[in-house]
Amino acid sequence: MTPSATTSVTTKPAGTDTGPGAARNPRRLGGAAAPLRGLAGLAGLVVVLQVLPHSGLVSGDYLPPASEMARALWHLLAEDAFWTALGDTLTGWGLGLAIAVAAGLVAGIVIGSVPVLRAVTASTIEFLRPIPSVALIPVAVLLYGTDLRSVLLLVVYASFWQVLVQVLAGTQDVDPVAEDTARSYRLGGWGRVRYVMWPTALPYVMTGVRLAATVALVLTITAELVIGAPGLGHEIAIAQTSGAVPQVYALVLVTGLLGVAVNLMARAVERRALHWHPSVRREG
Amino acid sequence: MQRRVFGLAVTLATVVAAAGCGSSSSGASDSASSGGGTTQVKVGVIPIVDVTPLYLGQKKGFFTKHGIDLKMETAQGGAAIVPGVVSGQFQFGFSNVTSLMIAQTKGVPIKSVVNGVATNGKVGADVTGVAVKKDSSIKSAKDLVGKNVAVNTLQNIGDTTVRESVRKAGGDPSKVKFVEMPFDQMPAALDGGQVDAAWMGEPALTIAKGQGARVVASPFAETDPKLTVATYFTSTKLLEQKPDLVKKFTAAMTESLEYASQHPDEARQMLTSYTKISGPVLKELTLPTWPTEIDMASLQKLASLGEQDGIFGGKKPDLNALFS
Repeated sequence: MTPSATTSVTTKPAGTDTGPGAARNPRRLGGAAAPLRGLAGLAGLVVVLQVLPHSGLVSGDYLPPASEMARALWHLLAEDAFWTALGDTLTGWGLGLAIAVAAGLVAGIVIGSVPVLRAVTASTIEFLRPIPSVALIPVAVLLYGTDLRSVLLLVVYASFWQVLVQVLAGTQDVDPVAEDTARSYRLGGWGRVRYVMWPTALPYVMTGVRLAATVALVLTITAELVIGAPGLGHEIAIAQTSGAVPQVYALVLVTGLLGVAVNLMARAVERRALHWHPSVRREG
Repeated sequence: MQRRVFGLAVTLATVVAAAGCGSSSSGASDSASSGGGTTQVKVGVIPIVDVTPLYLGQKKGFFTKHGIDLKMETAQGGAAIVPGVVSGQFQFGFSNVTSLMIAQTKGVPIKSVVNGVATNGKVGADVTGVAVKKDSSIKSAKDLVGKNVAVNTLQNIGDTTVRESVRKAGGDPSKVKFVEMPFDQMPAALDGGQVDAAWMGEPALTIAKGQGARVVASPFAETDPKLTVATYFTSTKLLEQKPDLVKKFTAAMTESLEYASQHPDEARQMLTSYTKISGPVLKELTLPTWPTEIDMASLQKLASLGEQDGIFGGKKPDLNALFS
């Protein structure tokens, strides 16, 4: 589940926001036209959702029309339980992401700056990385039951590798001339990390963070849905067992919107952090 | 898949129990430490109709009266509850009796402490039922022979009792083909023809009936009109260390069961607080009964049916040790 989710996440915003490498694409699609086109796509989706159940292709019992989903969503917004669940999900996501990014950064920089360490850990990382986080669910349940820590275990495990791998790639990309120059100017270990390695790695780090942000959300919802930890995923599961179909879709829509918000936010952060980088500087 | 998850969970629970419960000491003492005369107790439950008395009892203050600060932890199935109880994340859990017997035969150190829920004994209007499409050729349990029947968990209470219904109706139970599927997906699967019949619990059964499905068998009531379906359980460790807490929980739970039995309308209304069941389904769904005593005779019957189906891996559950 995780790998496929990851790929879809990486491919979705095609063209406009792949890593620093592919960012030379001209972004001049017209300032206002792009969001409008995006909204048109969304409107089209809503129309399809509205028409499909009426067409008889699918039963309205199992795929209610968009209007009914919207009504269910409207009612949800008035419930305290919904906002608590949203808070729980955002907490799980935010904490998990923060831990994963911090751990990934530290581990990445340490491993990346010590060639021996890198050689020793390479195969281990490649072994651990593809293990889907959901496979850890029984372990999480056993160790932490259904509380936040179970969610964090899954989220941190999944997002950590996204960051680590990017940081490692970033530390490898350091220009040898810059590195040698820094050495001949007698920059210490910390100075070289701060002024040579960090600026080189930052675009990679940001890509890692952006990927991790989405993966973290996917895993937060998954953990809640499967384990029953409090949050939106758990609300979906309750609605599902209650046979409350419109509520299920309404909640799914909310998770979708969360995904969009997370992605937008991650891109905004990336743009700020890399404002000096040619991939972000328009007149570069 | 659920069964495999359950199996894995049970295995892991065994491992943890055998390894001396690394995390349990901290977990149990954190959450079960007493503050101001009350003890916080976490109960692992599935958010379904059956556990309404627990919520009702909490609302009515039966648990606070006994010095218990109750906290419900809703999990998506027994797979998360049994290991949770064994490792001390939850002090108590809710599980169907067949799953408890399976866990016991696998050496998981648990013990049932108070009754949970029982069938209402009404054939044709029980809490669970085998439903078919309106125009299906299946008219009785006997006609299920050779057909696909959906159950929520294979090798558990569902298929065991459905087989018994078929057997009693004069059919060959070994020729019924069972398919595993969550309850909530069954109405759609039945409607779409993916399965010929589905053994459903509430609220799926009421939803399916609302769409025109017919009930052809009531496996619980047909197995035993007093069948004990599920109970609340704890770990043998907690039972040894905190017998008082267990006693208090049992007393509060017994009161809650009595209250729910006497006030079915309040029990029904309570559902809206922890599920999203509403509208006509809430009004029409069938309530189980909540007797305070476990019916040992019905459990013996269920256990022997389970043995017959080979779900205990050739072992025999020790019902006295588990339930009394």
